[in-house]
Amino acid sequence: MSGIALQGVSVRLGDTDVLRDVTLSLDARTIAVVGENGSGKSTLARLLSGLVVASDGTVRVLGLDPVRQAAELRRRVAVIFSNPDAQIVMPTVAEDVAFSLRTEKSPRSEKNERVIAALDRFGLADLAARSSHDLSGGQKQLLALCGAFVRRPDLVVADEPTAYLDARNARRVADHLLADTSHRLVLVTHDLELAQRCETAVLVQDGTVTEVGAPEQVIATYEAGIPW
Amino acid sequence: MVTLYRPGDGPWHRLRPGRKTALLLLLVLGICLLPATWWAAGVMAGVCLACYAIPGAGMRELGRQLVATRWMVGVTLIGQLIFLGPESAAANTTRVAVACALAALLALTTPATELLETFERAMGPLTWLRLDPRRVALTLALTLSTLPVLANLARDVREAQRARGGGRSLRHFAMPFLVMALKHADELGDALTARGVR
Repeated sequence: MSGIALQGVSVRLGDTDVLRDVTLSLDARTIAVVGENGSGKSTLARLLSGLVVASDGTVRVLGLDPVRQAAELRRRVAVIFSNPDAQIVMPTVAEDVAFSLRTEKSPRSEKNERVIAALDRFGLADLAARSSHDLSGGQKQLLALCGAFVRRPDLVVADEPTAYLDARNARRVADHLLADTSHRLVLVTHDLELAQRCETAVLVQDGTVTEVGAPEQVIATYEAGIPW
Repeated sequence: MVTLYRPGDGPWHRLRPGRKTALLLLLVLGICLLPATWWAAGVMAGVCLACYAIPGAGMRELGRQLVATRWMVGVTLIGQLIFLGPESAAANTTRVAVACALAALLALTTPATELLETFERAMGPLTWLRLDPRRVALTLALTLSTLPVLANLARDVREAQRARGGGRSLRHFAMPFLVMALKHADELGDALTARGVR
């Protein structure tokens, strides 16, 4: 399965070039995307998830064109955002997870089994009947993960998934994201320790990808460029 | 006041969502058509008690629903007492409280996902008016689930106002609240798209 391939990609939002002439080919299973605020990391993540359309260039994610094969991309790519509140759609925990399977054609009993298994895996089984909005920040982010993973995606794009969490919950969320080997992961993060746990890292600076390689090397370049 | 599904296996839970919705709608309609008399108030209360007496609902849940609607019931009662007298006030207030409690019974015993599917089916004829039933049903579900988020946003804005020594200015509340609500709508839209909703 091919991973991510970008050829001369630019993204223009309004009058601003958020990404400029990005050419990238990534086949690692876990990829960290690092860079300063406003550098274009999140736009890159949204581009890979099909939430933003490239103004120029070609994008292929898992061999799919995010514009022409949008429905297939949605089926195979799950997205996790930093704000867990914005990801809750249904009133209770179990129903929110079940919502992710709404468009699947499998029998209801099978869907229920998958929801129960996913809740169990993320330690949310005891909270299944609780109001989704009454959960703590960490539990809400675990719920978002649960809603994403229940669909069995081939690629998970996580945009700063630990940004709102305390150290313990951040570790739990990171462990869940990195431990599962059944999917590829693109992890946009400011947490450089977390980035080091990935196989490859991408450095985004001022709308362009300036370095791709081993996380230690990319992080060293990134830190060297920060005017402390 | 937003009622959440409570898992169970009583008769209300086992009843198909479509039939349950139709039955409860009929009961509410019947209650609306009763005259404003003492005996009618008794009948309405009796119907409500009977519905909640069925295993899977329970009197404790009925109590919770009545507590949740206390302000609306109180305002209705006072207004009716002033303008219509005790008999009409009792009957009409009971009517409002019972209608709310019966509506809550649907949400209490039906998972939101099944309710969504039922609404989609029920609104099937709307396609004739070029309306998409899936979108209408999803909008209803999102409206319900967004209420607590908006309440939290409003609280955050008020707290930020207080922290900065602001008063209770509606203008100073409305602008940041609107901006935060729009930002939430934008993020929720992305989350829905990412979860396969087109």
